Amino acid sequence: MMDLSQKEWVSHVLTHPFEGFEDLRWKKGGSVKIATAVILVMFASSVAASRMSGFQFGTLPDKTFNIIPYIVQTIVIFLTWVVGNWAISTWLDGEGSMKNIYIYSAYALIPYVAQEIIGTILSHILIQDEIVFYTAVYTIGLIWSGVLLFMAIKTVHQYSVMKTVFAIFLTICAMLVMLFLLVLLLSLFQQVYVFIYTIYTEIAYRVKV
Amino acid sequence: MNIVQKKLKKGLTVALSGLLLCGSLSLTAYADEPYDVYNYDRWGEAIPSQAGYLAQRAVSGEDLGTTHFNNASDIFRDHNDRFYVADTGNNRIVVVNTDWTETVKVLDTFTMPDGSTTTLMSPKGVYVSPQNDLIYIADSENSRVLACDLDGNVKICLEKPASEVYDQQSTFLPQKVLVDKAENVYIVLNNTTNGACVFNAAGEFTGFYGANRVEPTAEVLARYFWRTIATEEMQEKMKKSVASAFSNFDLDDEGFIYTSTESATQVMDRVKKVNPAGENLFADYNVKWGDRITTWYSGTSYVTRIVDIDVADDGSINCLDSTTGRVFQYDKECNLLFIVGTQANQVGGFSRVTAVETIGTSILVLDGDKNTVTIYDETAFGETVHYATELYNEGRYEEALEPWYEVLKYDGNYRRAFIGIASALFNKGDYEGSMKYAKLADSPYIYNRAFEGWRTDFLKENLTLILVAVAGVAGGIAAVYFVLKKKNGNNGKEGKQS
Repeated sequence: MMDLSQKEWVSHVLTHPFEGFEDLRWKKGGSVKIATAVILVMFASSVAASRMSGFQFGTLPDKTFNIIPYIVQTIVIFLTWVVGNWAISTWLDGEGSMKNIYIYSAYALIPYVAQEIIGTILSHILIQDEIVFYTAVYTIGLIWSGVLLFMAIKTVHQYSVMKTVFAIFLTICAMLVMLFLLVLLLSLFQQVYVFIYTIYTEIAYRVKV
Repeated sequence: MNIVQKKLKKGLTVALSGLLLCGSLSLTAYADEPYDVYNYDRWGEAIPSQAGYLAQRAVSGEDLGTTHFNNASDIFRDHNDRFYVADTGNNRIVVVNTDWTETVKVLDTFTMPDGSTTTLMSPKGVYVSPQNDLIYIADSENSRVLACDLDGNVKICLEKPASEVYDQQSTFLPQKVLVDKAENVYIVLNNTTNGACVFNAAGEFTGFYGANRVEPTAEVLARYFWRTIATEEMQEKMKKSVASAFSNFDLDDEGFIYTSTESATQVMDRVKKVNPAGENLFADYNVKWGDRITTWYSGTSYVTRIVDIDVADDGSINCLDSTTGRVFQYDKECNLLFIVGTQANQVGGFSRVTAVETIGTSILVLDGDKNTVTIYDETAFGETVHYATELYNEGRYEEALEPWYEVLKYDGNYRRAFIGIASALFNKGDYEGSMKYAKLADSPYIYNRAFEGWRTDFLKENLTLILVAVAGVAGGIAAVYFVLKKKNGNNGKEGKQS
């Protein structure tokens, strides 16, 4: 029973928001490859949504385009989510491994990614007056992904509903702490770099003179 | 080593002098404006542009056959195209002919209605009413506004009103004056934020007009919040949120008053078009008047300060920025057309600009430090832009098409031209061309309309094809589905059996 291939597991999970992850966990399904592919597609689609949308919905100026925010908004945020959730779950008696958190969370994001791609294509067909269709697709994708993500966390750690809410809240706090530390680390490294560079220029100047 | 350097130097010198020679040969004299001409793109960034106006000459008092101006602060063109300069430091009004070649008259002594003579003290504003041919002078230090004829016979003298509406403890120092078609006199004072002080034709004070709104900054909002919970005694001690007063104004042909506010903190109502009820008709236009960039240098911020405003005969609005010495010209729909002038010593540059006036295709700028009037003339580029803008604003988009193409030949970055062409092509039904130019203009709004038209056309032409294609695809999918189901069904059965 339920001998599904990895691809079939994806569609099973997506179409069974409440039971899908339980089945997936029971049968030890899910692949890191597909999860990674989903995250990479999410990154690509977020870039596409801002660069390739129909011009009637407005675009950002080309000359100020910067890829870094898109990387941060998709890949970095997702990784901090996984690490943060894993850290919280070890503390809150969660049963999920880091690998499973990674896979389940990525699977849960598929409707969101699909919404972004469909929205980008729709923006070439619709006019501004028909933006309601665009918004509808966006809302459905977002809610669907939200429910899936909630169920993914609930299932992977075998939590109750309230405990899941609490864990997600703590995860978000953990993510903020991590991002803060990351920024702090970066600025510290920059200061170290500036310090070493100053010494270098000073020595170079002395050697020359 | 040395020889190489010398040779290099020699070569460079020859090349440079050659370049200079070429430059001086190919450039006409007036092409050397003392500044880089720029305009703003859709994203609010300064980009190089073509000059719409070029400085022709600077006129001083001596050039006009009179003495040097001293701290001149206002300039006005009357209905006979004569010019009036309020020569503040010399306590006189100088009347100049249309071509700025000679003085028509110097007004410095006046005969009061009772026969006594009087003089001016720091006249700061001058206005001539086309209705009664009277010259209105804001005689600042004498605390009065005089209305006289060209011979200096004073007909009306307006002084500090005795009304309760006017705070009797404050002074009455008229800065600028303006008269509407009903001969109401509007006076800008330097010490009230209530707006312009209005006198009716009979010389009676009737109230204030056209005050600015308070800018809802964070500080103002915070103060509003504290005020709601404070006691009355506390409220009395608190600072009040007061809008800055406007500093200058002008009247257009339709009788609307345009005001300009010098204060750097007043961004919202910096330039207003005021209707008879005192409301700002530009309130919803969301235009950032003047320069968009604030520079900080040695702890001082340099923000646009619009000291004077002039509405030309064609309806274009000229705003004079005293910080940078630039004239910002807008069309009547508040689209930036040209930026003219700078802070410099050459002709075309200014030290401290005080007033701007227009005649025909020329802009005149008065400098209170240099005490000269600089006359700018429209270039061929400026003429084309104005012509196209006028047609466009009248809604004659298709007639404006050719001039806009002409504008693009001069300046391929001129955004208004792309908008004009996109609108014209849209009206013609060339949706594809309109979409192309809307994209170049960075205007999603026009693109949206053009795209809608294009989509409708596309669907009309290809509806049969699309329907056939959809039916074909649907049929194909259904066929494949049935075939697969049959196959799977068999497999499933086999699976169960085994």
